Amino acid sequence: MKLVGVDVGGTFTDVVYTDTEARTTRIHKVPTTPADPSVGVVDGIHGLCDRFGISAGEIDHVFHGTTIATNAVLEYKGATTGMVTTAGYRDIVHIGRHQRPQHYSIRQEIPWQDRPLVRRRHRKTVRERLSPVKGDVRVPLDEAAVREAARGLKAAGVDSIAVCFLFSYIDPSHEERAKAIILEEFPECFVTTSAAVSPQFREFERFTTAAMSAFIGPKVSRYVGALERMLAARGLKADLHIMSSNGGVATAPVVAERPVLTLLSGPAAGVLGGAWTGALSQRRQLITFDVGGTSADIGIVDDGRFAEATARDTWIGGYPVMVPMIDIHTIGAGGGSIAHVDGGGAFKVGPHSAGARPGPAAYGHGGDRPTVTDANVVLGRLDKDRFLGGAMALDEAAAHRVVGALADTLGLSPRETAAGILTIINANMANAIRSRTVQKGIDPRRFALVAFGGAGPLHGCEVAAMLGIPEVLVPAYPGITSAVGLLTTDIKYDAIRTAFQLSTGYDLGLINQGFDAMRAEITAQFTATGIATEAIRFARAADVRYVGQGYELRIGVPDGGLDDAALAAVFARFHAAHKAEYGHSFEASVIELVNLRLTGTGAMPKIGEPAGPPAGTLEAARVRSGPCVFRGPSGLTDVDTVFYDRDRLPVDTPFAGPAIILQTDSTTVVPPGCTVTADRAGNLLIQIGG
Amino acid sequence: MPLHADQQRIDPVTANVIQGALENIAIEMGYKLMRMSYSSIIRESEDFGAALVDAEGHGLAESAQSTPLQSGPIPGYIRGIRKIMAERGEVVCPGDVIMHNDAYSGASHGPDVAFIVPVFVDGELVAYSANTAHHLDIGALSPGSCGIVDALDAYAEGLQFKAIKVYDQGRKVEPVWTILRDNIRASDLVVGDMEAQIAAARIGADRLLELIGRHGVGTFKAACAEIMDIAERLMRHAITQVPDGVYRAETAIDGFADDPDPARRNLPIVATITVAGSDLIVDLAGTAPQVPDRPINMPLDGTVDVAVWLTVRSILLDTAVHGHIPVNAGLLRPITLRAPKGCLANPVFPAPTIARFCPGNQVADTVMKALALAVPDQVAAGIGQLKVIAFSGLTGESHWVHMEIFEGSYGGRAGMDGMDAVDTLYANTRNNPIEDIETHLPLTVDRYELREDVVGAGKWRGGFGSVRAFTFVQDGGASVEGEGHVFRPWGFAGGAPGQPARLDHVTGADGTRALPSKVPYFAIKAGETFLATGPAGGGYGDPFERSPDAVLDDVLDDLITPETARRDFGVVITDGAIDHAATTALRAAR
Repeated sequence: MKLVGVDVGGTFTDVVYTDTEARTTRIHKVPTTPADPSVGVVDGIHGLCDRFGISAGEIDHVFHGTTIATNAVLEYKGATTGMVTTAGYRDIVHIGRHQRPQHYSIRQEIPWQDRPLVRRRHRKTVRERLSPVKGDVRVPLDEAAVREAARGLKAAGVDSIAVCFLFSYIDPSHEERAKAIILEEFPECFVTTSAAVSPQFREFERFTTAAMSAFIGPKVSRYVGALERMLAARGLKADLHIMSSNGGVATAPVVAERPVLTLLSGPAAGVLGGAWTGALSQRRQLITFDVGGTSADIGIVDDGRFAEATARDTWIGGYPVMVPMIDIHTIGAGGGSIAHVDGGGAFKVGPHSAGARPGPAAYGHGGDRPTVTDANVVLGRLDKDRFLGGAMALDEAAAHRVVGALADTLGLSPRETAAGILTIINANMANAIRSRTVQKGIDPRRFALVAFGGAGPLHGCEVAAMLGIPEVLVPAYPGITSAVGLLTTDIKYDAIRTAFQLSTGYDLGLINQGFDAMRAEITAQFTATGIATEAIRFARAADVRYVGQGYELRIGVPDGGLDDAALAAVFARFHAAHKAEYGHSFEASVIELVNLRLTGTGAMPKIGEPAGPPAGTLEAARVRSGPCVFRGPSGLTDVDTVFYDRDRLPVDTPFAGPAIILQTDSTTVVPPGCTVTADRAGNLLIQIGG
Repeated sequence: MPLHADQQRIDPVTANVIQGALENIAIEMGYKLMRMSYSSIIRESEDFGAALVDAEGHGLAESAQSTPLQSGPIPGYIRGIRKIMAERGEVVCPGDVIMHNDAYSGASHGPDVAFIVPVFVDGELVAYSANTAHHLDIGALSPGSCGIVDALDAYAEGLQFKAIKVYDQGRKVEPVWTILRDNIRASDLVVGDMEAQIAAARIGADRLLELIGRHGVGTFKAACAEIMDIAERLMRHAITQVPDGVYRAETAIDGFADDPDPARRNLPIVATITVAGSDLIVDLAGTAPQVPDRPINMPLDGTVDVAVWLTVRSILLDTAVHGHIPVNAGLLRPITLRAPKGCLANPVFPAPTIARFCPGNQVADTVMKALALAVPDQVAAGIGQLKVIAFSGLTGESHWVHMEIFEGSYGGRAGMDGMDAVDTLYANTRNNPIEDIETHLPLTVDRYELREDVVGAGKWRGGFGSVRAFTFVQDGGASVEGEGHVFRPWGFAGGAPGQPARLDHVTGADGTRALPSKVPYFAIKAGETFLATGPAGGGYGDPFERSPDAVLDDVLDDLITPETARRDFGVVITDGAIDHAATTALRAAR
């Protein structure tokens, strides 16, 4: 199989090609084309084929991670969107949970009020109403009103419509009937229903998710359609698969219909790439640590599987989104994070970033504020002549100047200031990891940290040391981990049903029917994409809580027809999970099964193990040595440190830090007391010591 | 003055690292409490607080999720238990868990019960890990813990816990728990929530011990002193930006609008703010005398203090402008609060206080009105007040209780309209999803929308209120605790005032009865409805200067009618378009 992964980043579009039989992998980078990212994608694939003599027609699959949906939300540039909703509830998406995003602010904006996905004039109400628990029809659907609403919205010039009715997660037939009527009146319209996007209770969140789907839908489906056509025009016969937020890929038609699936497409691929990196070195307990210029993305891989975010914790651009997503925690900490002193005299780093332009002062593009990168320069950890493989010379004097100015304000030496910048940013990153591990009952000391992105390997060891993490892995190509991650995915579709069943009285038939119906739904999705039923792997789960609670935990559910014993085992697992996550369980309390979940996975071909790196020697790899500043028992000291060329390192030969390991797309810092080994899988394994 | 000036200096890097870790611990405590708790008032409304406090009762960090009116008072709770226990000659020991809700010793009001875990290092008490939560019921005269508006005194408000050890050196004090179970309605939920609080507070204490273990007690204390000093300097710096002067404002609360006794209704709230250099004094002299036998009196520590400092910091250190700012005791040092003994804002025991929520928010609004004179670009015009309804009933021998907080709205702001249908000022809770309520309770929510065509006109108009209807599916009862049915939220800088809220009890086709903002418990039959109509915030600036395009947008969005556009904003809209000539003429002719 010949596979291509294309990841569109802020600056570069990364293309990775692999031939699974020949075990060859090729990498190509082209500038991202922000106005229409598909241009960069097509150019990138074409460029790769030209450069390495690959015939485009032989590529079997293209996997693509795209930020088109995310950017449409963040930049508030989507379709003119309409909504048809239950009479009496026109403003559910405007009032929200009546909570202000910030406690201590008069002049704050509320995203769903200041940047509505659907303006009030485009929210039409129709008489209809269901009641819980069975979905009894309290008010029948006023079909004439739906028709009138559709005509009105068409006349108003909307491009897409979300149908959002209360309790549709119990019975979607009113929403589906309304969608059919709207399409009769307005066939060219992009129409979505809230139950189709996310059939879960909590109307504000579900309606907002549906509205977001409608808001980004036309743009995403145009993008995917255009990309398919452009690839075909260049002679590609490959299937196009788009990375989804759930950590799987979806086919182009599925994404065109359910665009919210792609909201976290980019960072999700990074977690997969991190997981793959770890697996190459037989590590299955991983914290992925993807640090770029402005932000750090943190993911958890437990026993080879990544964690999924709970529906209530998932937000994009300040809007709640209820779709399955990999649990990725993003904080404003990266190489461009700006160090400053606030009005009270506190020393802070971030969350503001100098970005790519002007960037850190050391970039020489006019940046005049001290950044994390500048601190690394002052401490001697970045090689001015070999940054980005020598593509950009660093302006050391500028870095010293801006850090020195901050040092004067703080009354510290420039070196203490630079080391302080790193300590603070590393502590911020460690706190972010702590919030995803320690706070959830996970002990980070059982994990290895996979450090990637341009800046991850610079900080990985010191962050790991703060958390007691014993080992850091640095992938062969830290800068393209996301693109590699695209070549490790499966097709993955999720289904969900709200159930509300109690441990003291449940309807086994209803639960079993729920799982059966979801299985049929997912099977149909796979069949439509040409994947045979027997090739699908299913995994069941349930969202479970103590009755009365408002937050659920995800608990695995066994396959097959469920009986009392099987459910009792689920409830027992819930008690244990509750104790693990919160430190406490309430054994005497009644348990509620809130949602049933089913995930179907269809295997895709994947990138294989890379051929081992060429054997080098430490002498051959040695570039130079020079003083780097590290903190020792007696404070900051200059330590003579060897700089190595990663491509020439010996395999399976441990050597001690301090060391700086240079490569084109990143720099790895190995502090004193740590030991580093380049392994056969191509990873650097760093044992944290000292 | 820095309180720890004699201690070792700490470097700014370590101070930052410890500050971040403290906040992380408080957040973890809040996260776990919110997720473990049973009652919707905690886990959906987020009416809880979590904080770390030093040994003397100075707040070190608070959980970001918790509502300010819960996290803000926690240091006061600690000071309260320290005082009470000292008076009783009692000693705090390792393994203790202390329960407290005394509104005359730091607590915000009776239903907000704190559970406090002391943190010892080598036998020395160095800090407290504590959280508070609003409990569904605390054994008052009628079901629920809000709308107890007829409580005669502190004893009628429910159980009073004055620094009670519920765990004594690690041993559960069973008689206390028996009393709780026997005297509280829906006690399974309430006691479950209390257990969740204790579990969360213990996690906070464990994490704090680990943190202190990493750095040592000396460094920890020095860092705490430094981060409070930093916060103090930050607030002082902000206050120096405010022109020196004396700024006075007055507003009023309904009190008991239907009460024949004039001393119980239309009660003034007065704030006089003196800014001198980096100090800011808030004096509430002129505020109405306490109401000795109705519970709208406000604890000075726990309610009034939080209302005042929250408003000052939200205006002077607005996080939308300044970014995240860690909350600790240092932020409060430059602010001095005065309230004459015996006024609504500084009552004398045993004057009841359980229904202090809305009066306290009116203090916050009054402080904003005074600061508006000093920093007009940083404020909102008058906010619309809130209300809480406690719904309850019996299923067999056990109670169900549900408390729902109804939203207000904000006044207009310089360059921005007011926020629509949100909690205001010191309250920032959440509503309950309709799909959750109707699934789990004998209630239906028959309407939830913006209140149309009722607006505080201004160049920057006030936020719109909401309309929300609740209907009983079974017979039950309810009580109401609210404000803002009488007085209009203040307009500012030429803006029109907003409009009051209202509440109707609908018993049938014709049987609609307007209720005052406070109604003690009364029985309700299946099929009867509460129709809550929220207030419209005040306008900011001359409405005739409002952009005609913005007025047109409101018309197209069905928020206001063309008649209102013409009358209140001087904009003529014909067939969905602005008649510019007519608008210019109309605006010129005023």
